[in-house]
Amino acid sequence: MGYINAIIILCGINIIAALGVAILTGYTGLFSIGHAGFMALGGYFSAILVKEFGIHFSIALLAGGAFAGISSFIIGYPAFRSRLRGDYFAIATLGFSEAIRLLLNNIQDIGPIKTGGAFGYMNIPSHTTVFVTVVAVLLAIYFAHMFVTSQYGKNCIAVGQDEVAAQMMGVDLLKTKLMALFISAFYAGVAGGLLGFYFAYLSPSFFTITKSSDLLAAVVFGGIQSLIGPVITAFVLIAVPEFLRTLAEWRLIIYGFLFVVVMIFRPQGLLGYVEMNLNFARVWWSKYVSRKQAGASEGQAGK
Amino acid sequence: MELFIQQLVSGISIGAIYALLAVGYALVYSVYNFTNWAFDAFMAFGAFMAFVAISSLAMPFWLAMILSIILTIILSVGSESLAYRPLRERKAPRLFMMISAMGVNLAVVNIINLIFGGTFRKFPVESVQPIFVGNVSIGRMDLIAGAISFGVLALLWLFLYRTRWGLGIRASAIDIQTASLMGINNNAVAIIIFIITGVLSSIAGVFYGIKYAVFPMMGIVTIKAMIASIVGGLGSLPAAIVGSMILGVLETLVSGYISSSYRDLFSFLFLIIILLFFPNGLMGKNVDEKL
Repeated sequence: MGYINAIIILCGINIIAALGVAILTGYTGLFSIGHAGFMALGGYFSAILVKEFGIHFSIALLAGGAFAGISSFIIGYPAFRSRLRGDYFAIATLGFSEAIRLLLNNIQDIGPIKTGGAFGYMNIPSHTTVFVTVVAVLLAIYFAHMFVTSQYGKNCIAVGQDEVAAQMMGVDLLKTKLMALFISAFYAGVAGGLLGFYFAYLSPSFFTITKSSDLLAAVVFGGIQSLIGPVITAFVLIAVPEFLRTLAEWRLIIYGFLFVVVMIFRPQGLLGYVEMNLNFARVWWSKYVSRKQAGASEGQAGK
Repeated sequence: MELFIQQLVSGISIGAIYALLAVGYALVYSVYNFTNWAFDAFMAFGAFMAFVAISSLAMPFWLAMILSIILTIILSVGSESLAYRPLRERKAPRLFMMISAMGVNLAVVNIINLIFGGTFRKFPVESVQPIFVGNVSIGRMDLIAGAISFGVLALLWLFLYRTRWGLGIRASAIDIQTASLMGINNNAVAIIIFIITGVLSSIAGVFYGIKYAVFPMMGIVTIKAMIASIVGGLGSLPAAIVGSMILGVLETLVSGYISSSYRDLFSFLFLIIILLFFPNGLMGKNVDEKL
């Protein structure tokens, strides 16, 4: 049971972080390969709040998310102001997250707080249970859904599709992009916090470029402009390798080939542009019913 | 003072390697408008091929280098025709090309990782005595790396600006559709560009491997090349080269005088500072995402 619980918790954490990437990459069209850095910031910050200051862990999680979000402006503001888009923004985020990782690796203590450098930050109180994870995932999905269907979310989609057109319609590019980045980094920060409270331990080695590629993979496979797609793939991408331990070394190789294959044959991802609601169930149901009726009438005609 | 000159030479030689990489990116970017993320995988591949050729097949250095260049060209052109050409022909958004390139990168790097393991290896060249100029010792490999890199860049310049093929590539960089209407074969341009990319990445990989170590993730250094081209300014090949030199020298000075563990951190901070105060880079034109 413990093993299943572990998989559920890790999947949940991955889903929350992937939702953050989905908002930034899937909706706003800004590519990030540095979300591991935001996870690290949120994780360390909330762990320090709980361990050193005795703050309740739910507040610490939100604070960690906010800290990651505010820190994202360090890279977001200069990058967006100089209209760095696409590939070069991706480089900037990658650089930022590598810088965070290097800092955490080299800094042994922040004032009296021992963060442990490369050895990791030990003895974090353990708070992440299956219940906490499930609640966090549901809240994350709910708020992400509310955001992308709000006016701000629509602004993000407009910026992602055509910046010039969006600007002409009166969308403030800088503000919209910064907001998307903030929310995205917030999600990553909360996910990092949950990770710390689960392992009771945080190490800079958790937050490498591999972690960022995993999150990006979830969004690429799951689909552009979709929340449910990345949620499903984020779950699958954690759960399946757990059950196929023998293939662990091949995981990233397979991802790599899948990236190419998906782009060539189904570039919008598995569920690209699929909104998260129950309409699809209704459509399936009506199709199913009509097929059944058609089958029935054919059967009668056959007689 | 001696230390400073040594650092300077070392910095210029690492800057030359960054310049090879930055020019490789800029070339693909200028024609196809996407960053060839697979470039760092090609670099690691080139370094490993030369490594295997020397350590297992006991080839001399120059032969290993040629073999590595040829194999990297095959990989580069192969990935172009398998991963990018279908997208190009469908006129897919550049985002898709970028993701596809990331896929090639992930696959190649992790195959190398699977075969050779993630350990750091010393490149098997015998260490040569440094040259002494007065009290200043200059690494012979630094000189060779710098000389070959600049030689390759000069050849590339001659090719791009003094031959008909180069004219075709420059025309495609301005407008690929019009160029193809004027009778320039798009696929031939693509093949030439990816041959050049293969050569550049393989040479950069081998020299980087000699200077530091050979390991599957060594391609991560190509971030530096991209930082260099942002610092120089997203505008031209010369800006990319100047940016690479500046970054190479500053980085080496930081690791020489402050601490080598803060070298990479410094590069990223430098990028942020440049973006804050020179949004278009030091020599950049005011262009939106255009090279």
